[in-house]
Amino acid sequence: MISLSELHTDALCEIFNIGAGRAASSLSEIIGEEVQLSVPHVQIFPSSEIQAQKLPLDSARVGAVRQHFSGPFDAIAMLLFTEERALEIVRDMMGSHVSLAELAEFEQDAMCELGNIILNACLSAMADLLGLTLQSTLPQYTVDSPEFLLQNITGEIDQPVMMALHIDLTIEKRQTQGCLVFLLSTSSLKEFLSHIDAFITGI
Amino acid sequence: MNPATHVQNLVWNSIWNAINLGLILIDDQGVVVLWNDWVSEHSGITEKQAVGQTLESLFTDGLGASFKIAMQNALTYKLPVVLSSILHRSPLPLYPLPCTRKKQQARIHQSVSLTPIITPDGTHQCLIQITDTSVSFTREHMLKLHSKQLSIDATTDGLTGAYNRRYFNERFKAEFGRVNRQGTPLALLMLDIDYFKDYNDFYGHPAGDRVLIRIVELMKSQLNRTTDVVTRYGGEEFAILLPDCELEGARAVAQKIQHAMLKLNIPHAKSNAAGRVTLSIGIATHSVNSNCDAHLLLNTADTALYTAKHEGRNRIRYLLTQNEMSKDTAYLIDAGL
Repeated sequence: MISLSELHTDALCEIFNIGAGRAASSLSEIIGEEVQLSVPHVQIFPSSEIQAQKLPLDSARVGAVRQHFSGPFDAIAMLLFTEERALEIVRDMMGSHVSLAELAEFEQDAMCELGNIILNACLSAMADLLGLTLQSTLPQYTVDSPEFLLQNITGEIDQPVMMALHIDLTIEKRQTQGCLVFLLSTSSLKEFLSHIDAFITGI
Repeated sequence: MNPATHVQNLVWNSIWNAINLGLILIDDQGVVVLWNDWVSEHSGITEKQAVGQTLESLFTDGLGASFKIAMQNALTYKLPVVLSSILHRSPLPLYPLPCTRKKQQARIHQSVSLTPIITPDGTHQCLIQITDTSVSFTREHMLKLHSKQLSIDATTDGLTGAYNRRYFNERFKAEFGRVNRQGTPLALLMLDIDYFKDYNDFYGHPAGDRVLIRIVELMKSQLNRTTDVVTRYGGEEFAILLPDCELEGARAVAQKIQHAMLKLNIPHAKSNAAGRVTLSIGIATHSVNSNCDAHLLLNTADTALYTAKHEGRNRIRYLLTQNEMSKDTAYLIDAGL
């Protein structure tokens, strides 16, 4: 089983917080409001512990933006918010004059963009700091139970490992928790950690 | 090039131009490599003019800042970027057909995605796809108007324009809850037109309808705050909700309405209360300490109205709602009439 050393966790937190900072400034520019985004917590779960209960999502239905990326290591990255939260975020982004009912039509579009901004910011921070190039698919948005979403993607990966990041997002002083999940194969995780090791040694 | 490849390329070229979607391919320097017919038609710039140029130099009349950043990110990090139509609306200067490129022509609503592509020789390019979302915007706008009208229809009385009983029930519940949460008082007025059946019988229903309309106008004109709610509670019965208002305020409103009725002076030959149309008004109030539920408050206001009727009509009566008060606590308020 792979476990993370304290150095690994610190390095991951640093990388993802740099990504979060970039995402927050992009979001601020679009919305014209102050946006704060931070990643306070990173955890790794082995295959046997890839369960929805491990994620800080207290909801039967969640909105998920998902991108598959590849490069020196492959992973599926998925940003998750509870369904109600997702709607609130989109509403905050579009201004409060938009009603929830009206959102339905644009929810998918806007959530894809929000997820795309956060995921790309994290991936680009990773690419910059670890000195590598990553490719990615376009984002897809789905709403389902967290169990189903996890099952659905773990099936696609050989010996999967889950890396879960807690996310605090604040738009217009309203705070929202979500989580960013990376599902990697064990060999991809090893490859990823070797890049992290090189990054730590390089500091 | 062998003939089979040439034919295949022609087919791809036809598909590229037949697609009902804007497609632009740029190289890693942002220079246009391919430009499909859809983009030509909607931009007024031909493929010949576009190829070899940057998007900035082609779209001199405005490339959205968000688009420039997205393109920069896509080219730098080779990661795909989406720009949703709801957050960006029209990042590129593309117009409905026929495209005139005149400033007054409104841009089409767009949903844009940028996908990095690696060519066989290892260089990076970026495919820009543009979808016209104007149709869904128009549909959304229309649905919004319809839903606004429907929600007005569902909550108002068609004749008088006052809120209806359904709206009152919801609003009353909400305002009652607010008293308990925020500790602000709430006043409820129940009003009834005196001898209205006799008015209708004598002057006819169309005249009766006009009276209802004029009285609603009158009640609205006597209320100063946007939070005050006038509802048509039944046939000739009305309810007024006054949030954050105690007895003094409620009494002042009731008296203003009575004075205005006097000034309005609608003749009513069949009224035993006066020679004109008059109102009986019952008041009940609720504060956080009054140990009362919504049902009791409503009943109390109704009983106050009944008391006003019973004592000769064209008057205002107030009743305490507290459960502990005895039956003889009907407070008479001098309407000053």
